[in-house]
Amino acid sequence: MISNLFKSKIFTLLKVQYSNMMEYRVEIALWAISGIIPFFMLNIWTNNNLNESLNISDVMLSRYFLCAFFVRQFSVVWVVFSFEEDSILGKVSPYLIQPLNPFLRYFAQHIAEQITRFPFALIIAFFFFIFNPESLWIPNIGTLFLSIIATFFSFLIQFLIQSIIACLCFWTEKASSVERLLFIPTLFLSGLLAPVVSFPEYVKSWIYLTPFPYLIDFPANLLSGNATNINGGLSMQILWIILLFPIFKKVWALGTRKYTAMGS
Amino acid sequence: MGFGNKKIYGHGIMNPRKYLRVYTKFLHTSLASELEYKTNILIDLITSILSLIGSIFLLSIFFQNNKSIGGWEFEQALIIQGIYTILNGITNTWFNPNLTEIVKHIREGTLDFVLLKPIDSQFYISLKKITPSGFLEILLGFCLLLYCIKINQITINFSFLTLFLITIICSICILYSLWFFISTTTIWFVKTWNATEVLRSFLYIGRFPLNSFTFSLQIFFSVFIPIAFITTIPSEVFLGLSQFWKIMLEVFVTIVFLFSSRKFWLFALKFYSSASS
Amino acid sequence: MSKNIIDVKNLSKSFYISSKEPGLKGTIKHFFRRKSTSLKVIKNVSFEIKEGEIVGFLGANGAGKTTILKMLCGLIYPSEGSILVSGYLPFKRKENFLKKITLIMGQKQQLIWDLPPIESLYLNASIYDIDKFEAKRRIKKLSEMLEISDELFIPVRKLSLGQRMKSELMAALIHEPNILFLDEPTLGLDINAQRNLRKFLEKYNKETNATICLTSHYMKDITSLCKRVICVQNGSISYDGKLDQLLKKLSPVKEILVVCRSEEDAKRLETSGFSIKNKAKNEITIQIKNDSITSSLRTIINNFDIEDLYVNEPPIDEIIGKVLIKNDYDF
Repeated sequence: MISNLFKSKIFTLLKVQYSNMMEYRVEIALWAISGIIPFFMLNIWTNNNLNESLNISDVMLSRYFLCAFFVRQFSVVWVVFSFEEDSILGKVSPYLIQPLNPFLRYFAQHIAEQITRFPFALIIAFFFFIFNPESLWIPNIGTLFLSIIATFFSFLIQFLIQSIIACLCFWTEKASSVERLLFIPTLFLSGLLAPVVSFPEYVKSWIYLTPFPYLIDFPANLLSGNATNINGGLSMQILWIILLFPIFKKVWALGTRKYTAMGS
Repeated sequence: MGFGNKKIYGHGIMNPRKYLRVYTKFLHTSLASELEYKTNILIDLITSILSLIGSIFLLSIFFQNNKSIGGWEFEQALIIQGIYTILNGITNTWFNPNLTEIVKHIREGTLDFVLLKPIDSQFYISLKKITPSGFLEILLGFCLLLYCIKINQITINFSFLTLFLITIICSICILYSLWFFISTTTIWFVKTWNATEVLRSFLYIGRFPLNSFTFSLQIFFSVFIPIAFITTIPSEVFLGLSQFWKIMLEVFVTIVFLFSSRKFWLFALKFYSSASS
Repeated sequence: MSKNIIDVKNLSKSFYISSKEPGLKGTIKHFFRRKSTSLKVIKNVSFEIKEGEIVGFLGANGAGKTTILKMLCGLIYPSEGSILVSGYLPFKRKENFLKKITLIMGQKQQLIWDLPPIESLYLNASIYDIDKFEAKRRIKKLSEMLEISDELFIPVRKLSLGQRMKSELMAALIHEPNILFLDEPTLGLDINAQRNLRKFLEKYNKETNATICLTSHYMKDITSLCKRVICVQNGSISYDGKLDQLLKKLSPVKEILVVCRSEEDAKRLETSGFSIKNKAKNEITIQIKNDSITSSLRTIINNFDIEDLYVNEPPIDEIIGKVLIKNDYDF
């Protein structure tokens, strides 16, 4: 019964947010375009034959970067910025008295945005294949399914991390600068600009212990059919989610307590 | 920058001393506002250091098995990195915070106050704010350049310095114009954030030598988004590789950009005052 | 008489409004073939304002008050007609013109949020070419007039709305403009702050002989400040003249509450030819025309046994409310 109620709440929330996001089509299209950095990177890699030493063919590398683009498109998180704006505009108080964790609202917003974004990402992929017809491939259903799950996990990890940062808004006015700080390692270590295999040994020795390679490198390798450890990757993702969720819960509880104590 | 020309719409001849005085006030007020958030500045400083480390790390990956990329060796590519860092620092110090400010002016309807001030509106709107944490990036960029001078054994002489100064000032002006173009479009579309994200992602390419891309992309980045002019030409000057015509071309492109961004702003203001309510 | 400082002749303003059908189809259609209709929001308006006058602009939301005000200060380009403010064409926004005027908009603020107002004041002083000593003198004078002192050194975000408005006023007046445009200046302020603002404007007008044009929804602002009002309806001027004459025109009757000693007397009064508005036991409310009020009162007092008697002025707010609500009010 309760779970039913919960489900319908989420469903309504999603529907509302989807129509809301449809209003921002142009913005979302621009967002999608701004994510094409992986293609520029691919251009550098193949144009200078940098991949020869890695034993990755041009075709496989271009598939990797296309998948990295896709994974990035569907794991972009901006909850910090939304929450910061809402708390400055004083919208957080009304959210708090509703019987729904505000982060579920943001979660629905993100999912709705991803659905809106999907056709734009497809159009960009279409152009990519026009320019690189040889890299066209159809992944089998199994890997497609697994990589969608891996992408969703990647999204969840990032959503949890950012939600934890967003909760810092209860203490300081500008939490987004922390997010910008954390974005730097995400950018360079996640595999968006260069696949993790290409990293020097001294980095590879510790990087797999951090969440970063599971954000883009792992799902992208999975989807593009490059060699990767499926079980290891998925279990590391789940491990990070299990680790981050209670932290978020704790920070949220502390934050709301502080907020209500302040009475602002 | 764009306001060097003498005839300015509605304001007659500018008085440079007044503008200097107002600008010191701008500096004072925005530094004072920023200091209200001290931890923020600290975090931004760490961010800019990490960002530079990350870029050099990426560059080292490219070069770990190759001696040169697009004809640039690692030590030379570092110059581009240095110039990019300086320009990025300038963007973060001046262009980005002022764009945020314009969006706020338009959303809250306070642009009217700006227009009613007896001061050039473009001057006011593009220089009002300053974020001091970008200074570190500029400093880091200069340090990297000094290091590059050492490892590339560049001899510094007068003509080198003047040419370098000319090209870097041109780069700053082009970059400014690009940002100001986008700022101006806020008059029509209030949400320009996403457009700036697109610009940012394109500018990202400026970290790498232009020759490392395929020919079609090189053309794209010279004609549509003049990234070639922004980082590559100053770096070539640095290495003493640049041809004279390229520098002249950059100066010409700069003038065109500054002039058209000014015209575009005046056009937007005309639209604003005939259509807004 | 003093000379005209604002001179508006046959002023009109049209806006182009492009309409868009909903949905993607509409968006595409809109992109290729814009259907735009021109909407005339100000229609052939003429008026003059003398130096030192305080003029209130009345009208419903969207009647065009703000548009007129913005055209007067040069923010909106007029479509037809001419405006001359202090000898300048406002829309050219010449530096010397801008130094003579100021615009104050309620709830829109120009002060720097994170800093004390004093910083914004000095910034404005440098923009208006005022040197440090002069700025100091003016700040001192204005802060005495506005009864504000320590608040100038507290960050704006920590000030109350009333204190913020006072600092806003200082920022807007530091260049000692002689024409003030105020658009809903008292919006959101509490009664006390509203009264203080009005008192200040009155004083400022007296001391500097500055011309003040204001729009407001609070009738008290208009009635206590403006001797002259301009009513704007659907983009044209429906009344321009003295406030008390407008009131006389709008409310030709007064209401009198008569309390009789007995119910019989009350019944007698009811049937004696007065227009009765209300009756409850022995209390009767009568409406009497303004010009016959003294004679009617005499009749009532002489012929009936009266316990008490009240003459009610119809509230000004209500009368002017009529101007705002009724678009087709006959003047």
